[in-house]
Amino acid sequence: MSRKIERLINLTIALLATKRYLTKSEIFRTVEGYEGTPETKERMFERDKDDLRTLGIAIEVGSFDPLFSDESGYRIRSENYQLNLGKITSSELALLSLAAEAWQGAALEHAAQSAVIKLNSLGIPADTLEIPGVPLKLSNSATDLNTITDVIATSDFLSFNYIATDLTVRSRTIIPFALSNNNGFWYLTGVDQEILEIRTFRLDRIHGELVKKHNKEVFEIPTDFDIFGSMDTTQHAIATIDVRKGKGFSLRALATSIIDLGEWDQLSIPIVNRETLTSQILWHGLDVYVQEPSDLRDYLVSQLQALILNHE
Amino acid sequence: MSAPLSRTARLLDLVPYINTHQGIALKDLAKHFDVTPAQMSADLTTLWMCGLPGYTPLELMDLEFDSGYVTIRNAETLAKPRAITFQECVALVLGLDLVMGQFPAERQDLMTSARSLRERIARQLGVPVQLQATSSVSNEVVLAINKALNQNSGLLIQYHALYKDDVSSRTIKPIYLYELNGQRYLRAYCFSAMDFREFRADRIMQAVHKEVPHGISSHQASEEKIGFGISIKAATRDIAERFGIVDLTENKDFSLTSYSRQWIERSVLASGSGVVITSPSYIRDSVIKSAQQLLDRYEHS
Repeated sequence: MSRKIERLINLTIALLATKRYLTKSEIFRTVEGYEGTPETKERMFERDKDDLRTLGIAIEVGSFDPLFSDESGYRIRSENYQLNLGKITSSELALLSLAAEAWQGAALEHAAQSAVIKLNSLGIPADTLEIPGVPLKLSNSATDLNTITDVIATSDFLSFNYIATDLTVRSRTIIPFALSNNNGFWYLTGVDQEILEIRTFRLDRIHGELVKKHNKEVFEIPTDFDIFGSMDTTQHAIATIDVRKGKGFSLRALATSIIDLGEWDQLSIPIVNRETLTSQILWHGLDVYVQEPSDLRDYLVSQLQALILNHE
Repeated sequence: MSAPLSRTARLLDLVPYINTHQGIALKDLAKHFDVTPAQMSADLTTLWMCGLPGYTPLELMDLEFDSGYVTIRNAETLAKPRAITFQECVALVLGLDLVMGQFPAERQDLMTSARSLRERIARQLGVPVQLQATSSVSNEVVLAINKALNQNSGLLIQYHALYKDDVSSRTIKPIYLYELNGQRYLRAYCFSAMDFREFRADRIMQAVHKEVPHGISSHQASEEKIGFGISIKAATRDIAERFGIVDLTENKDFSLTSYSRQWIERSVLASGSGVVITSPSYIRDSVIKSAQQLLDRYEHS
């Protein structure tokens, strides 16, 4: 095993140090570790190239001599190999360390740590940053974020079983392109391959394994999706709801406007989902009263009637 | 990633790190890279065999670590740290988002440099993937709340009140945690306000165990867990998540427990036509009464 590792490192050094493309025969002759029949060496080299690519090291293939283009050559450009974030200051380095700390005990902790090691290798004097308050942590997800980021990086297909609102479990296949964490819940957005529309999934509602499948087509990330604007509620109908003073905290959080009516406050709430909103209203019992629209009132009344009937 | 590959990655990253930390103790180096000192010795031994083609002492990297302190020479080719990977970019961008949410208002300078950093790192992703993290509920806080709920005990919390925009210390007794629209809320008895209050979990900055008097109010929260039975009329994800039932099926009965009578009543009401409470009868009666009162209000106006 350590022979293979030595060979990979020696190959990286040789390809980085060269100013021109190295041909395969030059590599086999000069880089330590290529032994055996020509076929064996060939196979070793192919695998080594794949392995370096997996490590994120891009090998450039080019023609050794423009007049004799039959033999291609290889090199690694240092500008592709090396970290290039422009000039990083001590306080920026401290910010990035804090950012990495947010992953402590969570899915991408390892990636965050290895990024910090690279940044700390720049030789910039460390600075400590005092930020009041307790550092927040990104919540851990039972779902494999490593696989998800890999699939996003390559624009491949991701298949999983998803629990729908009616509790049925259906297999979905998406090309994911956005990942977010809001208040401890992870969300993944992608183009659903069955309907070819953008859909967002909450990761804790994924049931079972994530399956990655290679996508041969070129995928263009939709430009009409904005992760920051995903809570845009302007296109929804507005409900007028009275809430008793000091009550209904969670409904107040949804309100676009609040009018003081004395004992009660009148809230305007966008109806994103009628069923969900009805259930939130019912949760608050006698502290909440729906003024309009009438279809929301009717739906609420039908739920109450069914509830009473079910209990007879 | 396979073991030989992740070891190769570590060796490549060791070179620039030692280069800027000449003379670092081997055991500290091992700690930074999260391996045992023995593994670190093995790594350094392997590196010591690597260098430029030719592989004479002139071309090989010159590593010194017998003394327990590590120095490196003749390693110019690998001396600069490697570019950050896609996954590392994702981790840093989401982490920065969270950190940004914590800056005090007067530190605009930090905000500006965090934004510029986020932009520079996101550019390294190479594709216009969208990432975002908002001030999340701290894991420690959720763990502390769940522990208090399970043990029926109290908490000392630091709470950031959004409307007043100040942070206050409060002693509370959690009654139940519930979720609406991707937000978690905690209902609790607040000893500072001497009344029941609802707290948004993401505004609780810190929560530690605290002894509180028993018997605050038998109506709101019981000292004993209340057993109750429900029958499912419509199997929905909302109901499964509200009651925490994994194997929810229609027309099936479930026996559950809670410390809070109020939580049981509200959860059944919120489930509308989907749930029937079968026991205990006093909670069942109370749910029916509330539903009837609500219905009367709508039918008489």
